[in-house]
Amino acid sequence: MTRYLGLLRLFVRTELQFALEYRVNLLLEIMQMIVVAGTSVAAVLILFSYTTVMNGWTLPQMIVLLGVYYVVQGAEELVMQPSFQKFMEGVRDGTLDFILLKPVSSQFMVSFRHFQTVQVVQVLMGLGVTVFGLSQLATVVTLGAALAFALTLACGFVLIYALLLALSTLAFWFVKVDNILAIFWAFIDAGRFPIDIYPGWLRLTMSTVIPIGIAVTVPAKAVAGQVDAQTMALIAGATLLAWLFSRWFWKRGLRAYTGASA
Amino acid sequence: MIRVYRALITQSIQVLSAYRVSLFLYALFSFIRPIIFLAAWVAVAESQGGRLGSFSRADLGGYFAIAILVTHLTAAWDFFEFEWEVRRGSLSPKLLRPLHPINYSIVNNGLWKLMTSVAVVPVAVAVAITFDARFAATPAHLALGTVSVVLAAGLTFTFGWVFASAVFWTTRVHAIVTLYQRTAFIFSGQVAPLLLLPAPLLVAALILPFGYMLGVPTEILRGGVDVTTALLMIGGQVVWLAIGIVLYRVVWNAGLRQYSAVGA
Repeated sequence: MTRYLGLLRLFVRTELQFALEYRVNLLLEIMQMIVVAGTSVAAVLILFSYTTVMNGWTLPQMIVLLGVYYVVQGAEELVMQPSFQKFMEGVRDGTLDFILLKPVSSQFMVSFRHFQTVQVVQVLMGLGVTVFGLSQLATVVTLGAALAFALTLACGFVLIYALLLALSTLAFWFVKVDNILAIFWAFIDAGRFPIDIYPGWLRLTMSTVIPIGIAVTVPAKAVAGQVDAQTMALIAGATLLAWLFSRWFWKRGLRAYTGASA
Repeated sequence: MIRVYRALITQSIQVLSAYRVSLFLYALFSFIRPIIFLAAWVAVAESQGGRLGSFSRADLGGYFAIAILVTHLTAAWDFFEFEWEVRRGSLSPKLLRPLHPINYSIVNNGLWKLMTSVAVVPVAVAVAITFDARFAATPAHLALGTVSVVLAAGLTFTFGWVFASAVFWTTRVHAIVTLYQRTAFIFSGQVAPLLLLPAPLLVAALILPFGYMLGVPTEILRGGVDVTTALLMIGGQVVWLAIGIVLYRVVWNAGLRQYSAVGA
Protein backbone atom coordinates (compact mmCIF):
# COMPACT_ATOMS: atom_id res chain seq x y z
CA MET A 1 0.00 0.00 0.00
CA THR A 2 2.74 2.46 0.95
CA ARG A 3 4.50 1.47 -2.26
CA TYR A 4 1.42 2.47 -4.25
CA LEU A 5 1.09 5.76 -2.39
CA GLY A 6 4.74 6.48 -3.07
CA LEU A 7 4.24 5.75 -6.75
CA LEU A 8 1.19 7.98 -6.84
CA ARG A 9 3.20 10.82 -5.31
CA LEU A 10 5.90 10.31 -7.91
CA PHE A 11 3.39 10.40 -10.78
CA VAL A 12 1.81 13.59 -9.51
CA ARG A 13 5.20 15.22 -9.07
CA THR A 14 6.43 14.47 -12.58
CA GLU A 15 3.14 15.56 -14.11
CA LEU A 16 3.26 18.79 -12.11
CA GLN A 17 6.77 19.49 -13.35
CA PHE A 18 5.59 18.84 -16.88
CA ALA A 19 2.65 21.24 -16.47
CA LEU A 20 4.86 23.96 -14.99
CA GLU A 21 7.01 23.90 -18.10
CA TYR A 22 4.23 25.69 -19.98
CA ARG A 23 3.37 28.49 -17.59
CA VAL A 24 1.41 30.74 -19.92
CA ASN A 25 -0.66 27.80 -21.03
CA LEU A 26 -1.30 26.91 -17.39
CA LEU A 27 -2.56 30.41 -16.64
CA LEU A 28 -4.78 30.37 -19.72
CA GLU A 29 -6.28 27.05 -18.68
CA ILE A 30 -7.07 28.38 -15.22
CA MET A 31 -8.62 31.46 -16.81
CA GLN A 32 -10.81 29.22 -18.97
CA MET A 33 -12.05 27.29 -15.94
CA ILE A 34 -13.03 30.52 -14.21
CA VAL A 35 -14.88 31.74 -17.32
CA VAL A 36 -16.70 28.43 -17.74
CA ALA A 37 -17.74 28.21 -14.08
CA GLY A 38 -18.67 31.90 -13.97
CA THR A 39 -20.93 31.68 -17.01
CA SER A 40 -22.55 28.53 -15.61
CA VAL A 41 -23.39 30.36 -12.39
CA ALA A 42 -24.73 33.24 -14.51
CA ALA A 43 -27.02 30.82 -16.37
CA VAL A 44 -28.44 29.59 -13.05
CA LEU A 45 -28.95 33.17 -11.89
CA ILE A 46 -30.88 33.96 -15.10
CA LEU A 47 -33.18 31.01 -14.42
CA PHE A 48 -33.68 32.07 -10.82
CA SER A 49 -34.49 35.65 -11.77
CA TYR A 50 -37.96 34.21 -12.50
CA THR A 51 -38.44 32.04 -9.45
CA THR A 52 -37.17 31.27 -5.97
CA VAL A 53 -37.56 27.53 -6.28
CA MET A 54 -37.14 25.15 -9.20
CA ASN A 55 -38.71 21.74 -8.83
CA GLY A 56 -38.07 21.92 -5.07
CA TRP A 57 -34.50 23.27 -5.44
CA THR A 58 -33.72 26.67 -3.97
CA LEU A 59 -30.98 28.92 -5.37
CA PRO A 60 -28.43 28.04 -2.63
CA GLN A 61 -29.10 24.36 -3.25
CA MET A 62 -28.55 24.87 -6.99
CA ILE A 63 -25.24 26.62 -6.26
CA VAL A 64 -24.22 23.65 -4.12
CA LEU A 65 -25.18 21.33 -6.98
CA LEU A 66 -23.14 23.34 -9.47
CA GLY A 67 -20.16 23.23 -7.10
CA VAL A 68 -20.43 19.45 -6.82
CA TYR A 69 -20.70 19.26 -10.62
CA TYR A 70 -17.34 21.00 -11.00
CA VAL A 71 -15.76 18.88 -8.25
CA VAL A 72 -16.85 15.68 -10.02
CA GLN A 73 -15.90 16.93 -13.47
CA GLY A 74 -12.56 18.25 -12.20
CA ALA A 75 -11.71 14.98 -10.45
CA GLU A 76 -12.61 13.09 -13.57
CA GLU A 77 -10.45 15.31 -15.78
CA LEU A 78 -7.66 15.35 -13.19
CA VAL A 79 -6.83 11.68 -13.41
CA MET A 80 -9.39 9.39 -15.05
CA GLN A 81 -9.66 11.07 -18.43
CA PRO A 82 -5.91 11.55 -19.11
CA SER A 83 -5.02 8.09 -17.80
CA PHE A 84 -7.64 6.18 -19.77
CA GLN A 85 -6.85 8.23 -22.86
CA LYS A 86 -3.20 7.17 -22.65
CA PHE A 87 -4.28 3.59 -21.99
CA MET A 88 -6.32 3.48 -25.20
CA GLU A 89 -3.41 4.93 -27.14
CA GLY A 90 -1.24 2.27 -25.57
CA VAL A 91 -3.51 -0.50 -26.82
CA ARG A 92 -3.39 0.98 -30.30
CA ASP A 93 0.34 1.49 -30.63
CA GLY A 94 1.51 -1.35 -28.43
CA THR A 95 3.16 0.64 -25.63
CA LEU A 96 0.73 -0.95 -23.19
CA ASP A 97 3.09 -3.94 -23.12
CA PHE A 98 5.62 -1.94 -21.09
CA ILE A 99 3.01 -1.17 -18.46
CA LEU A 100 1.89 -4.79 -18.20
CA LEU A 101 5.47 -5.88 -17.57
CA LYS A 102 5.88 -3.60 -14.53
CA PRO A 103 5.74 -5.33 -11.13
CA VAL A 104 2.64 -3.46 -9.95
CA SER A 105 -1.10 -3.89 -10.51
CA SER A 106 -1.77 -3.10 -14.15
CA GLN A 107 -5.18 -1.68 -13.27
CA PHE A 108 -3.48 0.78 -10.94
CA MET A 109 -0.97 1.79 -13.60
CA VAL A 110 -3.62 2.25 -16.23
CA SER A 111 -5.97 4.23 -13.99
CA PHE A 112 -3.61 6.55 -12.13
CA ARG A 113 -0.48 7.01 -14.21
CA HIS A 114 -1.38 10.33 -15.85
CA PHE A 115 -2.59 13.53 -14.24
CA GLN A 116 -3.73 16.86 -15.61
CA THR A 117 -2.54 18.60 -12.49
CA VAL A 118 -4.13 21.93 -13.46
CA GLN A 119 -7.52 20.31 -12.90
CA VAL A 120 -6.85 20.52 -9.16
CA VAL A 121 -7.87 24.14 -9.62
CA GLN A 122 -11.23 23.07 -11.01
CA VAL A 123 -11.81 20.75 -8.04
CA LEU A 124 -10.89 23.51 -5.59
CA MET A 125 -13.09 25.99 -7.41
CA GLY A 126 -15.96 23.48 -7.27
CA LEU A 127 -15.39 23.06 -3.54
CA GLY A 128 -15.37 26.83 -3.13
CA VAL A 129 -18.69 27.17 -4.96
CA THR A 130 -20.12 24.30 -2.87
CA VAL A 131 -19.06 25.90 0.41
CA PHE A 132 -20.44 29.25 -0.69
CA GLY A 133 -23.79 27.61 -1.55
CA LEU A 134 -23.82 25.83 1.81
CA SER A 135 -23.25 29.10 3.65
CA GLN A 136 -26.36 30.51 1.94
CA LEU A 137 -28.60 27.56 2.86
CA ALA A 138 -31.44 28.32 5.25
CA THR A 139 -30.73 25.22 7.32
CA VAL A 140 -27.58 24.27 9.20
CA VAL A 141 -25.69 21.28 7.82
CA THR A 142 -25.80 18.50 10.40
CA LEU A 143 -22.97 16.05 11.01
CA GLY A 144 -25.12 13.27 9.57
CA ALA A 145 -25.76 15.26 6.40
CA ALA A 146 -22.06 16.04 6.02
CA LEU A 147 -21.22 12.34 6.34
CA ALA A 148 -23.96 11.45 3.85
CA PHE A 149 -22.49 14.02 1.46
CA ALA A 150 -19.00 12.53 1.74
CA LEU A 151 -20.28 8.97 1.31
CA THR A 152 -22.48 9.70 -1.71
CA LEU A 153 -19.78 11.81 -3.36
CA ALA A 154 -17.28 8.97 -2.91
CA CYS A 155 -19.83 6.57 -4.43
CA GLY A 156 -20.22 8.96 -7.35
CA PHE A 157 -16.47 8.95 -8.04
CA VAL A 158 -16.32 5.16 -7.89
CA LEU A 159 -19.36 4.80 -10.17
CA ILE A 160 -17.81 7.05 -12.81
CA TYR A 161 -14.47 5.32 -12.43
CA ALA A 162 -16.10 1.92 -12.90
CA LEU A 163 -17.92 3.14 -16.00
CA LEU A 164 -14.80 4.64 -17.58
CA LEU A 165 -12.72 1.57 -16.74
CA ALA A 166 -15.31 -0.72 -18.30
CA LEU A 167 -15.65 1.45 -21.41
CA SER A 168 -11.87 1.69 -21.82
CA THR A 169 -11.54 -2.07 -21.37
CA LEU A 170 -13.55 -2.47 -24.57
CA ALA A 171 -10.38 -1.27 -26.32
CA PHE A 172 -8.93 -4.78 -25.84
CA TRP A 173 -11.47 -6.09 -28.34
CA PHE A 174 -12.31 -3.09 -30.50
CA VAL A 175 -9.06 -1.07 -30.29
CA LYS A 176 -10.59 2.27 -31.23
CA VAL A 177 -13.21 3.18 -28.63
CA ASP A 178 -12.63 6.94 -28.19
CA ASN A 179 -16.03 7.42 -29.76
CA ILE A 180 -17.80 5.55 -26.99
CA LEU A 181 -16.16 7.87 -24.48
CA ALA A 182 -17.35 10.86 -26.53
CA ILE A 183 -20.92 9.84 -25.63
CA PHE A 184 -19.96 10.16 -21.99
CA TRP A 185 -18.65 13.67 -22.68
CA ALA A 186 -21.84 14.72 -24.40
CA PHE A 187 -23.97 13.60 -21.47
CA ILE A 188 -21.79 14.98 -18.68
CA ASP A 189 -23.15 18.46 -19.54
CA ALA A 190 -26.55 17.39 -18.24
CA GLY A 191 -25.09 16.96 -14.74
CA ARG A 192 -25.29 20.72 -14.17
CA PHE A 193 -28.97 20.50 -13.22
CA PRO A 194 -30.75 18.17 -10.78
CA ILE A 195 -31.74 15.02 -12.66
CA ASP A 196 -35.29 15.19 -11.34
CA ILE A 197 -36.11 17.97 -13.84
CA TYR A 198 -35.34 15.83 -16.89
CA PRO A 199 -37.72 13.77 -19.02
CA GLY A 200 -37.82 10.07 -18.13
CA TRP A 201 -35.37 8.70 -20.71
CA LEU A 202 -32.68 11.24 -19.85
CA ARG A 203 -33.13 10.78 -16.10
CA LEU A 204 -32.86 7.03 -16.55
CA THR A 205 -29.71 7.33 -18.68
CA MET A 206 -28.10 9.61 -16.14
CA SER A 207 -28.77 7.41 -13.17
CA THR A 208 -27.76 4.11 -14.76
CA VAL A 209 -25.52 3.79 -17.83
CA ILE A 210 -23.98 7.25 -17.45
CA PRO A 211 -24.17 7.84 -13.68
CA ILE A 212 -23.12 11.50 -13.77
CA GLY A 213 -26.61 12.39 -12.51
CA ILE A 214 -26.21 10.22 -9.43
CA ALA A 215 -22.70 11.50 -8.79
CA VAL A 216 -23.82 15.14 -8.75
CA THR A 217 -27.49 15.28 -7.74
CA VAL A 218 -27.38 12.80 -4.87
CA PRO A 219 -24.53 14.43 -2.89
CA ALA A 220 -26.13 17.86 -3.38
CA LYS A 221 -29.35 16.46 -1.93
CA ALA A 222 -27.58 14.55 0.83
CA VAL A 223 -25.90 17.66 2.22
CA ALA A 224 -29.35 19.21 2.69
CA GLY A 225 -30.44 16.07 4.54
CA GLN A 226 -32.82 14.99 1.78
CA VAL A 227 -31.49 11.49 1.11
CA ASP A 228 -32.79 8.72 3.36
CA ALA A 229 -30.72 5.81 4.65
CA GLN A 230 -32.44 3.35 2.35
CA THR A 231 -31.47 5.26 -0.82
CA MET A 232 -27.92 5.60 0.44
CA ALA A 233 -27.68 1.87 1.09
CA LEU A 234 -29.03 1.25 -2.40
CA ILE A 235 -26.46 3.54 -3.99
CA ALA A 236 -23.62 2.09 -1.94
CA GLY A 237 -24.70 -1.41 -2.98
CA ALA A 238 -24.96 -0.45 -6.65
CA THR A 239 -21.53 1.21 -6.47
CA LEU A 240 -19.98 -1.94 -5.02
CA LEU A 241 -21.56 -4.04 -7.77
CA ALA A 242 -20.39 -1.63 -10.48
CA TRP A 243 -16.87 -1.69 -9.08
CA LEU A 244 -16.75 -5.50 -8.87
CA PHE A 245 -18.10 -5.79 -12.39
CA SER A 246 -15.61 -3.34 -13.88
CA ARG A 247 -12.75 -5.14 -12.14
CA TRP A 248 -13.89 -8.51 -13.40
CA PHE A 249 -14.37 -7.07 -16.89
CA TRP A 250 -10.92 -5.49 -16.85
CA LYS A 251 -9.31 -8.86 -15.97
CA ARG A 252 -11.24 -10.56 -18.75
CA GLY A 253 -10.14 -7.90 -21.21
CA LEU A 254 -6.54 -8.25 -20.12
CA ARG A 255 -6.64 -11.96 -20.93
CA ALA A 256 -7.95 -11.14 -24.40
CA TYR A 257 -5.09 -8.70 -25.08
CA THR A 258 -2.47 -9.99 -27.47
CA GLY A 259 -0.34 -6.92 -28.19
CA ALA A 260 -0.60 -4.44 -31.01
CA SER A 261 0.93 -6.55 -33.77
CA ALA A 262 0.42 -10.07 -32.50
CA MET B 1 -15.85 26.79 -60.04
CA ILE B 2 -18.86 24.48 -60.35
CA ARG B 3 -16.57 21.68 -61.48
CA VAL B 4 -14.25 22.30 -58.55
CA TYR B 5 -17.13 22.24 -56.10
CA ARG B 6 -18.51 19.03 -57.59
CA ALA B 7 -15.16 17.36 -57.03
CA LEU B 8 -14.96 18.73 -53.49
CA ILE B 9 -18.44 17.44 -52.69
CA THR B 10 -17.67 13.95 -53.95
CA GLN B 11 -14.45 13.84 -51.98
CA SER B 12 -16.06 15.19 -48.85
CA ILE B 13 -18.93 12.70 -48.97
CA GLN B 14 -16.44 9.87 -49.24
CA VAL B 15 -14.37 11.09 -46.32
CA LEU B 16 -17.43 11.71 -44.14
CA SER B 17 -18.94 8.30 -44.89
CA ALA B 18 -15.70 6.60 -43.95
CA TYR B 19 -16.22 7.62 -40.31
CA ARG B 20 -19.92 7.08 -39.92
CA VAL B 21 -20.01 6.55 -36.17
CA SER B 22 -18.05 9.64 -35.16
CA LEU B 23 -20.05 11.57 -37.75
CA PHE B 24 -23.20 11.04 -35.73
CA LEU B 25 -21.56 11.29 -32.34
CA TYR B 26 -20.83 14.95 -32.77
CA ALA B 27 -24.49 15.48 -33.61
CA LEU B 28 -25.19 14.60 -29.94
CA PHE B 29 -23.81 17.99 -29.01
CA SER B 30 -26.49 19.67 -31.13
CA PHE B 31 -29.36 18.47 -29.00
CA ILE B 32 -28.16 17.59 -25.50
CA ARG B 33 -27.76 21.20 -24.35
CA PRO B 34 -31.08 22.57 -25.70
CA ILE B 35 -32.86 19.65 -23.99
CA ILE B 36 -31.08 20.41 -20.70
CA PHE B 37 -32.11 24.05 -20.71
CA LEU B 38 -35.62 23.26 -21.93
CA ALA B 39 -36.08 20.99 -18.92
CA ALA B 40 -34.73 23.69 -16.60
CA TRP B 41 -37.03 26.39 -18.01
CA VAL B 42 -40.05 24.12 -17.85
CA ALA B 43 -39.27 23.46 -14.18
CA VAL B 44 -39.06 27.22 -13.57
CA ALA B 45 -42.30 27.85 -15.48
CA GLU B 46 -44.11 25.20 -13.46
CA SER B 47 -43.07 26.87 -10.22
CA GLN B 48 -44.77 30.03 -11.56
CA GLY B 49 -48.04 28.38 -12.52
CA GLY B 50 -46.97 27.36 -16.03
CA ARG B 51 -46.19 30.79 -17.53
CA LEU B 52 -43.16 33.06 -17.74
CA GLY B 53 -43.89 36.45 -19.28
CA SER B 54 -45.10 35.76 -22.80
CA PHE B 55 -43.94 32.14 -22.66
CA SER B 56 -46.16 29.21 -21.80
CA ARG B 57 -44.74 25.74 -21.23
CA ALA B 58 -45.66 24.91 -24.84
CA ASP B 59 -43.85 28.00 -26.14
CA LEU B 60 -40.69 26.94 -24.31
CA GLY B 61 -41.02 23.52 -25.94
CA GLY B 62 -41.38 25.20 -29.33
CA TYR B 63 -38.39 27.47 -28.78
CA PHE B 64 -35.97 24.75 -27.74
CA ALA B 65 -37.21 22.17 -30.27
CA ILE B 66 -36.37 24.67 -33.01
CA ALA B 67 -33.18 25.66 -31.19
CA ILE B 68 -32.02 22.04 -31.63
CA LEU B 69 -32.32 22.39 -35.40
CA VAL B 70 -30.76 25.86 -35.50
CA THR B 71 -27.89 24.84 -33.19
CA HIS B 72 -27.22 22.00 -35.57
CA LEU B 73 -27.46 24.05 -38.75
CA THR B 74 -25.22 26.82 -37.37
CA ALA B 75 -22.48 24.60 -35.95
CA ALA B 76 -18.93 25.69 -36.81
CA TRP B 77 -15.79 23.99 -35.61
CA ASP B 78 -12.99 25.22 -37.87
CA PHE B 79 -10.94 26.73 -35.04
CA PHE B 80 -10.25 23.33 -33.52
CA GLU B 81 -9.31 21.81 -36.84
CA PHE B 82 -7.10 24.78 -37.61
CA GLU B 83 -5.15 24.57 -34.39
CA TRP B 84 -4.52 20.92 -35.03
CA GLU B 85 -3.48 21.52 -38.65
CA VAL B 86 -1.08 24.30 -37.75
CA ARG B 87 0.55 22.25 -35.03
CA ARG B 88 0.90 19.21 -37.25
CA GLY B 89 2.09 21.33 -40.15
CA SER B 90 -0.62 20.14 -42.52
CA LEU B 91 -1.91 23.67 -43.06
CA SER B 92 1.13 24.72 -45.07
CA PRO B 93 0.55 22.35 -48.03
CA LYS B 94 -3.10 23.37 -48.00
CA LEU B 95 -2.10 27.02 -48.34
CA LEU B 96 0.02 26.22 -51.38
CA ARG B 97 -2.92 24.81 -53.31
CA PRO B 98 -4.60 27.13 -55.83
CA LEU B 99 -7.90 26.87 -53.95
CA HIS B 100 -8.45 28.88 -50.76
CA PRO B 101 -8.82 26.50 -47.77
CA ILE B 102 -12.16 28.06 -46.86
CA ASN B 103 -13.73 26.25 -49.83
CA TYR B 104 -12.92 22.82 -48.39
CA SER B 105 -14.37 23.95 -45.10
CA ILE B 106 -17.62 25.25 -46.62
CA VAL B 107 -18.27 21.97 -48.41
CA ASN B 108 -17.36 19.87 -45.39
CA ASN B 109 -19.49 21.97 -43.04
CA GLY B 110 -22.54 21.90 -45.28
CA LEU B 111 -22.38 18.21 -46.04
CA TRP B 112 -21.93 17.22 -42.42
CA LYS B 113 -25.04 19.15 -41.47
CA LEU B 114 -27.00 17.64 -44.33
CA MET B 115 -25.99 14.07 -43.54
CA THR B 116 -26.44 14.24 -39.77
CA SER B 117 -29.81 15.97 -40.07
CA VAL B 118 -31.17 12.43 -40.50
CA ALA B 119 -30.49 11.95 -36.79
CA VAL B 120 -31.14 15.46 -35.48
CA VAL B 121 -34.53 16.16 -37.10
CA PRO B 122 -36.26 13.16 -35.45
CA VAL B 123 -34.86 14.24 -32.06
CA ALA B 124 -36.25 17.75 -32.53
CA VAL B 125 -39.63 16.30 -33.50
CA ALA B 126 -39.59 13.97 -30.49
CA VAL B 127 -38.79 16.90 -28.17
CA ALA B 128 -41.60 18.96 -29.73
CA ILE B 129 -44.08 16.11 -29.14
CA THR B 130 -42.87 15.33 -25.59
CA PHE B 131 -43.22 18.95 -24.50
CA ASP B 132 -46.46 19.70 -26.41
CA ALA B 133 -44.63 22.40 -28.33
CA ARG B 134 -46.66 25.30 -29.71
CA PHE B 135 -45.65 27.13 -32.88
CA ALA B 136 -47.20 30.36 -34.10
CA ALA B 137 -45.32 30.65 -37.37
CA THR B 138 -47.11 31.86 -40.51
CA PRO B 139 -45.75 31.07 -44.00
CA ALA B 140 -44.07 34.50 -43.89
CA HIS B 141 -42.29 33.50 -40.68
CA LEU B 142 -41.10 30.28 -42.25
CA ALA B 143 -39.73 32.08 -45.31
CA LEU B 144 -37.99 34.77 -43.23
CA GLY B 145 -36.82 32.13 -40.74
CA THR B 146 -35.16 30.13 -43.48
CA VAL B 147 -33.29 33.22 -44.66
CA SER B 148 -32.37 33.96 -41.06
CA VAL B 149 -30.98 30.45 -40.45
CA VAL B 150 -28.79 30.73 -43.54
CA LEU B 151 -27.52 34.12 -42.36
CA ALA B 152 -26.89 32.75 -38.87
CA ALA B 153 -24.94 29.80 -40.26
CA GLY B 154 -22.87 32.27 -42.31
CA LEU B 155 -22.32 34.38 -39.21
CA THR B 156 -21.07 31.53 -36.98
CA PHE B 157 -18.98 30.20 -39.84
CA THR B 158 -17.35 33.58 -40.53
CA PHE B 159 -16.68 34.30 -36.87
CA GLY B 160 -15.35 30.76 -36.55
CA TRP B 161 -12.79 31.68 -39.20
CA VAL B 162 -11.93 34.97 -37.54
CA PHE B 163 -11.05 33.10 -34.35
CA ALA B 164 -9.39 30.31 -36.29
CA SER B 165 -7.10 32.93 -37.86
CA ALA B 166 -5.82 33.83 -34.40
CA VAL B 167 -3.89 30.59 -34.67
CA PHE B 168 -1.36 32.37 -36.93
CA TRP B 169 -0.22 34.40 -33.94
CA THR B 170 -0.78 32.11 -30.99
CA THR B 171 -0.61 28.51 -32.33
CA ARG B 172 -3.04 27.52 -29.56
CA VAL B 173 -6.51 29.04 -29.82
CA HIS B 174 -8.31 27.07 -27.12
CA ALA B 175 -8.35 29.88 -24.58
CA ILE B 176 -9.67 32.48 -27.04
CA VAL B 177 -12.26 30.07 -28.39
CA THR B 178 -13.46 29.22 -24.88
CA LEU B 179 -13.97 32.89 -24.18
CA TYR B 180 -15.90 33.30 -27.46
CA GLN B 181 -18.04 30.21 -26.91
CA ARG B 182 -18.91 31.03 -23.30
CA THR B 183 -19.96 34.55 -24.26
CA ALA B 184 -22.17 33.00 -26.92
CA PHE B 185 -23.43 30.54 -24.27
CA ILE B 186 -24.94 33.42 -22.29
CA PHE B 187 -25.97 35.81 -25.09
CA SER B 188 -26.87 33.69 -28.11
CA GLY B 189 -30.06 32.17 -26.73
CA GLN B 190 -28.60 28.88 -25.52
CA VAL B 191 -29.32 29.29 -21.82
CA ALA B 192 -32.55 31.22 -22.31
CA PRO B 193 -34.78 32.39 -25.15
CA LEU B 194 -33.64 35.95 -25.93
CA LEU B 195 -37.00 37.33 -24.84
CA LEU B 196 -36.53 35.80 -21.38
CA LEU B 197 -33.08 37.30 -20.80
CA PRO B 198 -32.97 40.12 -18.22
CA ALA B 199 -33.27 43.46 -20.09
CA PRO B 200 -29.57 44.51 -19.98
CA LEU B 201 -28.50 41.11 -21.28
CA LEU B 202 -31.12 41.21 -24.03
CA VAL B 203 -29.82 44.59 -25.18
CA ALA B 204 -26.25 43.31 -25.14
CA ALA B 205 -27.30 40.19 -27.07
CA LEU B 206 -28.77 42.31 -29.85
CA ILE B 207 -25.91 44.82 -29.98
CA LEU B 208 -23.28 42.08 -30.06
CA PRO B 209 -23.34 39.49 -32.86
CA PHE B 210 -24.29 36.64 -30.51
CA GLY B 211 -28.06 37.05 -30.44
CA TYR B 212 -28.15 36.78 -34.22
CA MET B 213 -26.40 33.42 -34.23
CA LEU B 214 -29.11 31.31 -32.58
CA GLY B 215 -31.82 33.22 -30.75
CA VAL B 216 -32.97 35.38 -33.67
CA PRO B 217 -33.56 32.64 -36.27
CA THR B 218 -35.17 30.44 -33.61
CA GLU B 219 -37.62 33.15 -32.53
CA ILE B 220 -38.55 33.93 -36.16
CA LEU B 221 -39.08 30.27 -37.03
CA ARG B 222 -41.32 29.62 -34.05
CA GLY B 223 -43.32 32.77 -34.77
CA GLY B 224 -42.32 34.47 -31.52
CA VAL B 225 -41.92 37.92 -33.10
CA ASP B 226 -44.03 39.80 -35.64
CA VAL B 227 -42.94 40.16 -39.26
CA THR B 228 -41.65 43.74 -38.87
CA THR B 229 -39.45 42.78 -35.93
CA ALA B 230 -38.28 39.74 -37.88
CA LEU B 231 -37.22 41.95 -40.78
CA LEU B 232 -35.35 44.25 -38.41
CA MET B 233 -33.60 41.27 -36.85
CA ILE B 234 -32.58 39.99 -40.28
CA GLY B 235 -31.20 43.47 -40.98
CA GLY B 236 -29.05 43.11 -37.85
CA GLN B 237 -27.83 39.76 -39.10
CA VAL B 238 -26.84 41.23 -42.46
CA VAL B 239 -24.90 44.03 -40.75
CA TRP B 240 -23.01 41.63 -38.50
CA LEU B 241 -22.34 39.23 -41.34
CA ALA B 242 -20.82 42.09 -43.35
CA ILE B 243 -18.69 43.15 -40.36
CA GLY B 244 -17.65 39.53 -39.87
CA ILE B 245 -16.56 39.11 -43.48
CA VAL B 246 -14.48 42.29 -43.40
CA LEU B 247 -12.97 41.25 -40.08
CA TYR B 248 -12.16 37.82 -41.43
CA ARG B 249 -10.41 39.25 -44.49
CA VAL B 250 -8.31 41.64 -42.43
CA VAL B 251 -7.34 39.07 -39.80
CA TRP B 252 -6.72 36.28 -42.30
CA ASN B 253 -4.52 38.38 -44.59
CA ALA B 254 -2.54 39.91 -41.74
CA GLY B 255 -2.12 36.50 -40.14
CA LEU B 256 -1.05 34.83 -43.33
CA ARG B 257 1.66 37.43 -43.94
CA GLN B 258 3.36 36.81 -40.65
CA TYR B 259 2.69 33.05 -40.45
CA SER B 260 5.68 30.80 -40.43
CA ALA B 261 5.01 27.11 -39.98
CA VAL B 262 5.73 25.47 -36.63
CA GLY B 263 9.34 24.35 -36.68
CA ALA B 264 10.37 26.88 -39.29
